[in-house]
Amino acid sequence: MASSEITRHLCVADARVGLDPEGYLVDIGQWSPAVAEALASEEGVILEAEHWEVLEVLRAFYAEYEMAPAMRPLVKAVGRDLGPDKGRSMHLMRLFPGSPAKRAARLAGLPKPTHCL
Amino acid sequence: MHHDHDTPAGDLLVILRHAPHGSGWLREGLDVALVAAAFGGDVSLLFMGEGVTALVEDQAAGALDQKGTAPTLRMLEMYDIDTLWVEAEALARFGLSADELMLAPRVLQAEDSAELIRRHARVLTF
Amino acid sequence: MNLHIVNRSPASYRVHEQALAAMGPEDRLLLIEDGVQGALPALVRHFEAIPGRLFAQREDLESRGLLGRCDGEVQVVDVEGFVQLTEQAEQTLSWY
Repeated sequence: MASSEITRHLCVADARVGLDPEGYLVDIGQWSPAVAEALASEEGVILEAEHWEVLEVLRAFYAEYEMAPAMRPLVKAVGRDLGPDKGRSMHLMRLFPGSPAKRAARLAGLPKPTHCL
Repeated sequence: MHHDHDTPAGDLLVILRHAPHGSGWLREGLDVALVAAAFGGDVSLLFMGEGVTALVEDQAAGALDQKGTAPTLRMLEMYDIDTLWVEAEALARFGLSADELMLAPRVLQAEDSAELIRRHARVLTF
Repeated sequence: MNLHIVNRSPASYRVHEQALAAMGPEDRLLLIEDGVQGALPALVRHFEAIPGRLFAQREDLESRGLLGRCDGEVQVVDVEGFVQLTEQAEQTLSWY
């Protein structure tokens, strides 16, 4: 669940974006592509087209269901929206190594996924 | 099940007996179902008693913008939770029919409840 | 065999009906907390569908002064009996 506690701010252009203790946006309304780029660059990642399309899937998922998906539904949503070749956990692991559901949700401005470890 | 001899046994059956908004039980039950499914479990849901009202169309957020459960219910298919049962007795009590409910639940006759429970390795009531 | 536990009074709630609807032919029903009111002769009719398979928690009856008023159909179990019922059951389902 989204925490409402702001522990630090990310400065993007003129905006100060509040982040919760785990680095997720406190207010999804503050998200922009520039915010995603700033969060990614903190992780040493440069977002490519394949990242962006997954972030779009996540934002559409959240708009529809009001929750950030765990890995199983993320794989399914990516497969549905971007085709079966990309709807595989290997593809997501390559783009967002470690915990794809969490890392991608954070970059997409979503709260931390609730239903995964 | 008289009409579903092919229904496989599942890992977990979550029985939802509470209405949306009135308490947190419905959401808690759905959370447990989603966690189990996220870890690869084969999860089914049974809507019993007041729980049947969770499936009524046209639900909205509550007072103070409290989130509704309808978006979560629509999300179930993304977690591959697609075996949903609704108790015939509950439909009758609320004057509802299964075909006007969201997610097209299957109707469970009273005499089949025990068998449905027996087919699941684990059953949790909420 | 599953054990079903009901903690609501049949005088005020229909929770016991849900438990009964979910019970298989071998399943047992244990009344606890306010549920033990169902062990009274005036209320035990709610459980006539499960002869010989109705239990009630002794401590909850005692604390409510109902132990001596239990219907003869009801099998009274103490904490140890409760544990045994749980161990004999494949699963325990709580109805609350």
